[in-house]
Amino acid sequence: MSVRRFNNGDADADLVVVGSGVVGALIAEQMAGAQRSVLILEAGPRLDRAQVVENWRNLNFQQRVGSDFQSLYPQSPLATAPLEFPPNGYVLLTGKNGDSFHQGYIRAVGGTTWHWAASCWRHLPVDFQMRAKYGVGRDWPISYSDLEPYYCRAEEAMGVSGPNDPALQSPTERSRPYPNDMIPWAHGDTRVAEIVNPHGYRSVPIPQGRAVRPWKRRPACCGNNNCQPICPIGAMYNAIHTVQAAEAKGATVLAESVVYAIDTDANNRVTAVRWYDRNRQSHRATGRAFVIACNALETPRLLLMAANAQNPSGIANRSDQVGRNLMDHSGFHCTFLASDPLWLGRGPAQSSCLVGSRDGSFRSEYSANKIILNNISRVGPATQQALKRGLTGTALRDEIRRRTIHGVDLSISLEPLPAPQNRLTLSKTRHDALGLPCPDVNYELDDYVHRGYDAAAQQLRHIGSLFNAVEFEVTTSLNANNHMMGSTVMGFDPKDSVVDGDCRAHDHPNLWLPGGGPMPSASVVNSTLTMAALGLKCADSVQRALEHA
Amino acid sequence: MDVRLGSVRSGWLAASILSCLAAIGSSVAGAEVGTNELAQRGRYLAIAGDCGGCHTRPEGGKAFAGGYEITSPVGAIYSTNITSSSIAGIGSYSEAQFSRALREGIRRDGAHLYPAMPYTAYAKLSDEDVRALYVYFTQSVQAVDEQPRVTRLPFPFNLRMSMSIWNALFLSTARFTPDPRRSDEWNRGAYLAEALEHCGACHTPRNALMAEQSRRQFAGTRVGGWYAPNITSDPVSGIGAWPRDELVQYLKTGALHGKAQAAGGMAEAVGDSLQYLTSQDLRALATYLLSVSPIRDQSDSRARDAWGAPVEHEAELRGRPTTAGSAQPEGNALYSGNCASCHQPTGAGTADDSYPALFHNTATGARHADNLVAAILFGVDREVGGRHVFMPRFDATSYVQPLDDSEVATLANYVLQEFGNPTVHVTIDDVAAARSRGFAKWLVQVTEGLLIFAGFALVTLGLWTLGRRRRAHP
Repeated sequence: MSVRRFNNGDADADLVVVGSGVVGALIAEQMAGAQRSVLILEAGPRLDRAQVVENWRNLNFQQRVGSDFQSLYPQSPLATAPLEFPPNGYVLLTGKNGDSFHQGYIRAVGGTTWHWAASCWRHLPVDFQMRAKYGVGRDWPISYSDLEPYYCRAEEAMGVSGPNDPALQSPTERSRPYPNDMIPWAHGDTRVAEIVNPHGYRSVPIPQGRAVRPWKRRPACCGNNNCQPICPIGAMYNAIHTVQAAEAKGATVLAESVVYAIDTDANNRVTAVRWYDRNRQSHRATGRAFVIACNALETPRLLLMAANAQNPSGIANRSDQVGRNLMDHSGFHCTFLASDPLWLGRGPAQSSCLVGSRDGSFRSEYSANKIILNNISRVGPATQQALKRGLTGTALRDEIRRRTIHGVDLSISLEPLPAPQNRLTLSKTRHDALGLPCPDVNYELDDYVHRGYDAAAQQLRHIGSLFNAVEFEVTTSLNANNHMMGSTVMGFDPKDSVVDGDCRAHDHPNLWLPGGGPMPSASVVNSTLTMAALGLKCADSVQRALEHA
Repeated sequence: MDVRLGSVRSGWLAASILSCLAAIGSSVAGAEVGTNELAQRGRYLAIAGDCGGCHTRPEGGKAFAGGYEITSPVGAIYSTNITSSSIAGIGSYSEAQFSRALREGIRRDGAHLYPAMPYTAYAKLSDEDVRALYVYFTQSVQAVDEQPRVTRLPFPFNLRMSMSIWNALFLSTARFTPDPRRSDEWNRGAYLAEALEHCGACHTPRNALMAEQSRRQFAGTRVGGWYAPNITSDPVSGIGAWPRDELVQYLKTGALHGKAQAAGGMAEAVGDSLQYLTSQDLRALATYLLSVSPIRDQSDSRARDAWGAPVEHEAELRGRPTTAGSAQPEGNALYSGNCASCHQPTGAGTADDSYPALFHNTATGARHADNLVAAILFGVDREVGGRHVFMPRFDATSYVQPLDDSEVATLANYVLQEFGNPTVHVTIDDVAAARSRGFAKWLVQVTEGLLIFAGFALVTLGLWTLGRRRRAHP
């Protein structure tokens, strides 16, 4: 079924999806496959992979070493993403830990999975019951077993390679094997696991959205090692693959289309969304079902700015929870030089991870953690360090080599609890090029996270000793990990939550808000697979609703 | 392992090929062989003839249960069920009926098969081999009682009897006759090439009525978007300079370091069929191919695998804005952004040959750039010996980067200039044409031609009859 387009640029579809990232794309593909007309409105432009690849190669050294994964992506001037080199001030960060919340995300067709590490973790079953089991945070209105079939479907859709040996799984509760077995470990992963595992740190393979054999239309990973900021060969899952699959099934994608308003009827059903095209002309898309899947910052921003007479505090916001409970895996890094060369930086950007402290009774007191053995080549930082020592010629080259092969970078993720004061609001003074309010974010981390930091730091000092570490450093300020969650939180009670277990808005029977926003607990693992699974569960809900309509 | 054959088959194929070597040897003498041995030989012959290439549906189809859709401009042709099922397959065929279908293209009920079935090649099969195939298909192949979709072409192509006209003109029912002046090995190779592997179906140019031109045997011709190159023994235009062992390796693996890689239809031929031939048969095939009369194209000055050298432009590319993604991208930007991550900035590929060099490569050195353009548009997909060689496609359905005709032409010309035969030039129209010809099997192309021929022949016949009647009854 194809979308109806009108002469004035307006459109009508069974399903209107706002946002073309992994979540929106999966829903669009399923519904287009179910013979529904599907319109995807995406604020950003369509990207050319080769251009992004070349932009990365041409990026200056400071930005490359500074992990600037944003600047190389062309943007629509009407829909900017947060930039840090130099800062564009799109998001104003306030609060005690505002500086820990510099999120990077892409506004373009295909969304932020253009530049992710493709880590495809599942939450643990207990992560769905933080309040019931540990007396902290919030419980989900659905259980792990409710979501498990959707985890399987998401893994299939994204072509995940993960360990089929249960001894290497986290969690082990699975109804289906991974579509591909784990990405084989390189020397560094193997060696680190041998050294740390006798001490309970449990280094396991990271399930990844890439494969070492051709998968569907994707080639085998050939280890370019720049998954972030761009897989140069399309071996890594990018939602653009799903967008293309949706288009092949009849979905229509309109790029550079910035949705800014949501119309509702007397029964508070959504009747239309309105968007600006690249020429700042406004259009209207009517439909039977609406999915807003922008991300956990842009979705609440849109819901709040779309406040109308019937919903004066924002769409879907009778609970006043839209924009609240913002979470990210606030993290930090530990770097050192190991006495033996580990040769990290070969293969995918992330390959193994220490999950020994993902769970435990301590979670009633302080945050869990996961410790990623970062596998991004250390040549950049090694070069910086060697240059600082004033070396030249052969001495410089040898020192870069030494630091590269001995260098270790551990990336630690902590688990903040949902807190209403951590919230996104609309700026009253700052506006984007379309005159739409920019987001303000207040972010404060409590002692739950700080105690978790202390526990992790102690573990890291022990780990360092196992490698006879020199130049051992642990960062003290927390950094963002770009895993935004919680801002359209799900729950049973419409009074204190925004959506139900299908990501369907309590306030609007034909509006769904899937993705990271509904997640009531962060766990310590990357959120994308859970977002995708929630997206597929949402897709089933949308499909049922349209069938019964 | 090609998906169409199913991964389960690789194990027993290897085993059965070894075990049936003896059967092949003994049968040559015409000795009585048991049913089991016959079936094993039949299984081997079915692989050599690549029956599964069409009669097993790709991606999960049951072996030989048919239903593979061959699209042609006049409609879809579906391959038939040739399992031992007496309901849906050929289980109740007599050997004579089987032979007639195989070698004359006539079904048990007397209807003509569409020439998607390569009966013109199979006509050369020996009686012994037809018997072995018969025993294999009717006794060893697992019966599948499911009727695949039935081919329903519109008028006049649905009149199967029209094929009799073409058959009368071009179908030779002569069996293969060994040349007594040649060695047994040569004769075996000739039989494999002509009757079973039907190399000429792709590599021999055809006349206007789609019949192979025997004088130009193996001189090379276009097949869909690809070009099946000259494989005569000419050292410049053909493969005469390839040592026999290298040719054997190429047939076995589809790849020859510093020379060539099989893609398109040849990747299917290697993946489905050639890789499973015994080394003895592959040597025979190579011996025969290297003896085929040389055909030189005077415009070829150098062998197609002998062009080019590594080139490095990385330093001059960096630090300036890329033109990739712009309206007028430059070749080096397209190459760097789309190709260099695997084939390397120098075009040298990788040392382990996971990614081939782009110089000393028949795809970039040939006088026809079809295979370079087709590899960019449709990718390379070859499964041999449990190893899956896969280059992604860059056409509109690419998951890596869809490239338009202009970008493909610019990129191909850059590769030709830098790494390949710089005298060859690709135009935007060339790319558009290749894109529309698509990833066609030779069968599709031949079928198209034949069906159109048959349609016209029939219409002409009809008009002629009508004219005669009018004259008879004024």
